[in-house]
Amino acid sequence: MTILFGTLGWRPQSLLPSIRSTEHLERVVFYHSDHAKSRDARSKVVEFCRSLGVPCTAIEVSDAYDLLQAAGQIRADVRKEKVAGAELRFNIAGGTRLMSSAALLVCILEGIPATYVHDETYREIPLPLLRMTYGEGLTPKQRDALAFLVKNREKRFSETALARALGVHKATMNHHLRKLEAVGAIERQSDPADGRRLIIVPAPGIELLLG
Amino acid sequence: MDLRTLIATIGFDERHVLPSLRLLPYDRLVLVGGRDSFRSAGFRRLRALEPDLEAVRVDAFDLGDCLESIETWIREARATGPVRISATGGTKILTMAALLAAFHEGVEAWYCDPDPVRLPVLRGVGLAQAFVPAERAVMQLLRGRTSLDRFLALVVGRGFARRTVFAAVRSLAAKGLIEQVLESGRTVLRPTPRFVLLRDHFRPEPGKA
Repeated sequence: MTILFGTLGWRPQSLLPSIRSTEHLERVVFYHSDHAKSRDARSKVVEFCRSLGVPCTAIEVSDAYDLLQAAGQIRADVRKEKVAGAELRFNIAGGTRLMSSAALLVCILEGIPATYVHDETYREIPLPLLRMTYGEGLTPKQRDALAFLVKNREKRFSETALARALGVHKATMNHHLRKLEAVGAIERQSDPADGRRLIIVPAPGIELLLG
Repeated sequence: MDLRTLIATIGFDERHVLPSLRLLPYDRLVLVGGRDSFRSAGFRRLRALEPDLEAVRVDAFDLGDCLESIETWIREARATGPVRISATGGTKILTMAALLAAFHEGVEAWYCDPDPVRLPVLRGVGLAQAFVPAERAVMQLLRGRTSLDRFLALVVGRGFARRTVFAAVRSLAAKGLIEQVLESGRTVLRPTPRFVLLRDHFRPEPGKA
């Protein structure tokens, strides 16, 4: 049985072709914004699902222009279904550009087959996605340092303070941080409280890559 | 000196691109858009601001075309310095293609409309890194329909164990990149359309002359 995820904008036609084409469709879960036209589209999709006898869950995204927040929410929902062993598909055609991009990001990170529906022909187009597991590209120590920084995002750590917190030599920490900086996972910024000090800041949304 | 390239997607309204130009420093600007975008008044105004910009025309409703063009330009630009993608303007398909290309090639991707949002893409970590060496060898060597036995011999000749190659073939089949079919009692391997779209990522790096 397959669960179809989707993002919905103002046009229900962007999601309906995937509902029609999904074999053994068990449930539809879709995300939409709080815009009145998006809510109208939601009603039409819900009605369509009801007429087919397919259970449907509509989730209103609090901020359809916050890519990282939307990606975090979608990923959490997708993972819940994956853990339950469901087969998943994602239609990323509708919604704001940022919502679609958030869904695309989740599909890449979780390896979910994604489709787009052509704006004029309403034909489904499968996207050539392959799962990218970034976490595996980092060493365990790099992952630890990054996870620690993400967990303590509101705190300010210098390189030395970070080395002390994780119990490694500062030269070792310097090595790991240089690697993380080279791939854009962290940034060094001036401490607003002390301009002479550099603090280590994780890149926005990097927690999504850690899995 | 490194030449910083900004590859930005563009539609009819140049105002969606302007925040990217202001916030993402560049030495070379490449705009990717549909045919009609480059005939628009918005593009003419942008050209007046940036006479040296390079315009790349794509079919903005064809994901494959957009993806291939952007990836080609990323590879070309990467040889001269760092590359950034701004996926703010243009059709949604163009945006999706730009983001996919950023992930596939491991380059920074941004939205600036108007506030800058950087997507979590690791620089320099591209699609090929998601494959083990035997899978990469299979992707490099498979050209078209070929018998499994003959192909195994070819890859084994590159120093891989037969069992490793088998595992790689099975893994690529599970990823939807190759198909194994039975023809006249023989197993034949053939690449899928997805394989063709992604093959360029597995080209061997040029070695020393």
